[in-house]
Amino acid sequence: MKKIKLITIILAIVLVTMVAFFGVYVPIQNRMENKVKDYQYAMDLEGGRNIKLSVDNTSNTVIRDAEGNEVTDAGDLSDEELAEKGYTKEETPYNSEDVLNEENYIKTKKIIEKRLNALGVDNYETKVDETSGNIFVEIPENDITDSIVSNIGTTGKFEIVDSETQEVLMDNNDIKRVRVMYGADSTSTSSYGGTAVYIEIEFNKEGTDKLKDISSTYVESNTTNETNTTNITNATEDTNTADNTANTENTTSEDSSTDTETTTKEITMKIDDEEIMTTSFDETIETGTLQLSIGSATTDTSTLQSYISQATSIAVVLDNGNLPIRYTVEANEYILSDITQEELNIVLYVIIGLVALSLIVLIVRYKVEGLVNAFAYVGLASLFLLILRYTNVVISIESIFGIAVVLVLNYIFVNKLLSKLKIEEKVDRTVITKALKETYKEFFIRILPICIAVITFCFIQWEPISSFGMVMFWGIVLIALYNSTITNLLVRVKESKGGKNKNGNKQTKND
Amino acid sequence: METNKQKMTKKSKIVIGIIALVIIVGIIVTLTVGLNFDLRYQDSKRIELYLETDFNISDIKQITNEVMPGEQVIIQKVEVYEDTVSITAKDITDEQKQSIIDKANEKYGTELSADSVEVESVPNTRGRDIIKPYITPFAIATLIILVYMAIRYRKLGVVKTLLKTIIILVVAQVTLLSVMAITRIPIGFITIPLVITVYLLTLVGLTSYFEKQVANRKEEKTGK
Repeated sequence: MKKIKLITIILAIVLVTMVAFFGVYVPIQNRMENKVKDYQYAMDLEGGRNIKLSVDNTSNTVIRDAEGNEVTDAGDLSDEELAEKGYTKEETPYNSEDVLNEENYIKTKKIIEKRLNALGVDNYETKVDETSGNIFVEIPENDITDSIVSNIGTTGKFEIVDSETQEVLMDNNDIKRVRVMYGADSTSTSSYGGTAVYIEIEFNKEGTDKLKDISSTYVESNTTNETNTTNITNATEDTNTADNTANTENTTSEDSSTDTETTTKEITMKIDDEEIMTTSFDETIETGTLQLSIGSATTDTSTLQSYISQATSIAVVLDNGNLPIRYTVEANEYILSDITQEELNIVLYVIIGLVALSLIVLIVRYKVEGLVNAFAYVGLASLFLLILRYTNVVISIESIFGIAVVLVLNYIFVNKLLSKLKIEEKVDRTVITKALKETYKEFFIRILPICIAVITFCFIQWEPISSFGMVMFWGIVLIALYNSTITNLLVRVKESKGGKNKNGNKQTKND
Repeated sequence: METNKQKMTKKSKIVIGIIALVIIVGIIVTLTVGLNFDLRYQDSKRIELYLETDFNISDIKQITNEVMPGEQVIIQKVEVYEDTVSITAKDITDEQKQSIIDKANEKYGTELSADSVEVESVPNTRGRDIIKPYITPFAIATLIILVYMAIRYRKLGVVKTLLKTIIILVVAQVTLLSVMAITRIPIGFITIPLVITVYLLTLVGLTSYFEKQVANRKEEKTGK
């Protein structure tokens, strides 16, 4: 019975090891495909999107009329036509000389980093050339990389201007916080109106006051003009009695026409000089917040997701301040890691070599028990690698160190357990249980601070450290579970019913 | 005859002396020569060659070794088709660029010209930018660990335990950086994993030390 158990466990370990190291290949369309899930690699091992942002040296062309007002619809006119109309053309550089300095380059880099953090990018590298102002950003390559690239290059200039005079009423300095909100569409009369996505712009104290003023000024106002067409007879009657006066009024109202003229002062909201909306206010806003709806209410998940994504992009850009300098994306390319597969294989072979050497030491030291536990050890290592594949743990250089640390910890555990069993005169069930309990207690008390650090690292939004944390977490969980089951079973296989003493002689109850 | 305790004190003194020496030398080296940053974190020059075909990194390495012997070079494949190579080195002169292009043309049958290949200046990564993302995680983890240590080993004296833990954790990291400064091990890919490993090993060492102290105390009490 014990032999069957032993063989089953060993076969299971061999199977797991084969799957972990060689995979499971099935024929698909005339080729063999490994059905075992691939590892997910971090940016340091897989490469990433390299973006070069360079200072925009182009100019903005502004056409002004003779009075100096900006003319927006004369872009198609030739220079002669402009001259005929008395318009002048001005070339204004997007970035004036005085903003191009080291301080602003570093500030831009910091704002980009803030945006990356807000967008949930959990691994990036930024560099700034303090002379030219060029900024180099490297981010992981995934589904949202393109959207991130478009966000980091955006200046993020927010303005509320008078739609007629273009006077700037509010700008980025008035913003306190911007966030994305979504909920049931309150404007819909239907009970199934869908979900609407909003951007809520919360203004600071100064901004709140400005918004209050603007929202009470930029309103729709009605001016009523009455045109009196009353004839002279009626007018004569007017001068008589009070009753007549009433009559006159009635008559007058019948004969007069009323014109209602609506005059509206409107504001235009601009982001990066692009008009987002032109509107007026229905009521004075005293709360200091503005809600802008993105798209219309929808029940379609993908549409909703796209609205949320758009809203998040705008919110992130506005929430983290505008870039003091206008940049353009000069290069945007995926560059693979300089750590090649061959170099990774060398690391793998070194780890395997060290593990093999340690297991040989274990076998030499503890003989059969050592051999059995070496098998168990290989099983744990293989299972560990499979767990890392299926729990979507990202493999980075840090996590490779994590794998090595887990293997070392398990070796310490096994060594501790075997050394406890070695000193025992008889190896029976009670002794094994006691040895296991003691090993667990000693081992986990010693690594408890590591467990604390590992759990903390798991929650950190920085891929290299969280990947290390995740690897260590699964490793420690596996050490706890695997050794209490598989190693425990394998150790018990050596035990005889009556127990065995160190000389291998069967023990009697009297022993 | 020296007692065990005296021997230990002597040993400890020697170890402390060596560590202090390493730290002092490390600080001097850092302040005078500076740390040896890996090429990817240094000011560097980069060129990109469109080779129009899949290539082996080792072949490019051979070319760069011939043109820039003994210099550290980073070679990376660019884009999903992997037919463009990015070569980064501390400096790439016009002559070196021309040489690399000539050799690449010869090997891959391309017609690249020096005019079409621009040498791009890549700025360095500041040391503080490298360590910045790790400060918060380590601070939080250490804080929680300190609370745990203070509770578990309160019988050894809360202040004493906390001070010992903080000092040993800091000294271990400073020693590691000093060793890296003295041995000129580049600050690069393996630095942070090394820092984490040393941090965890120090924690295990500290726990073992405190556990031993607790056991000794118990023994002493039982003995009395």
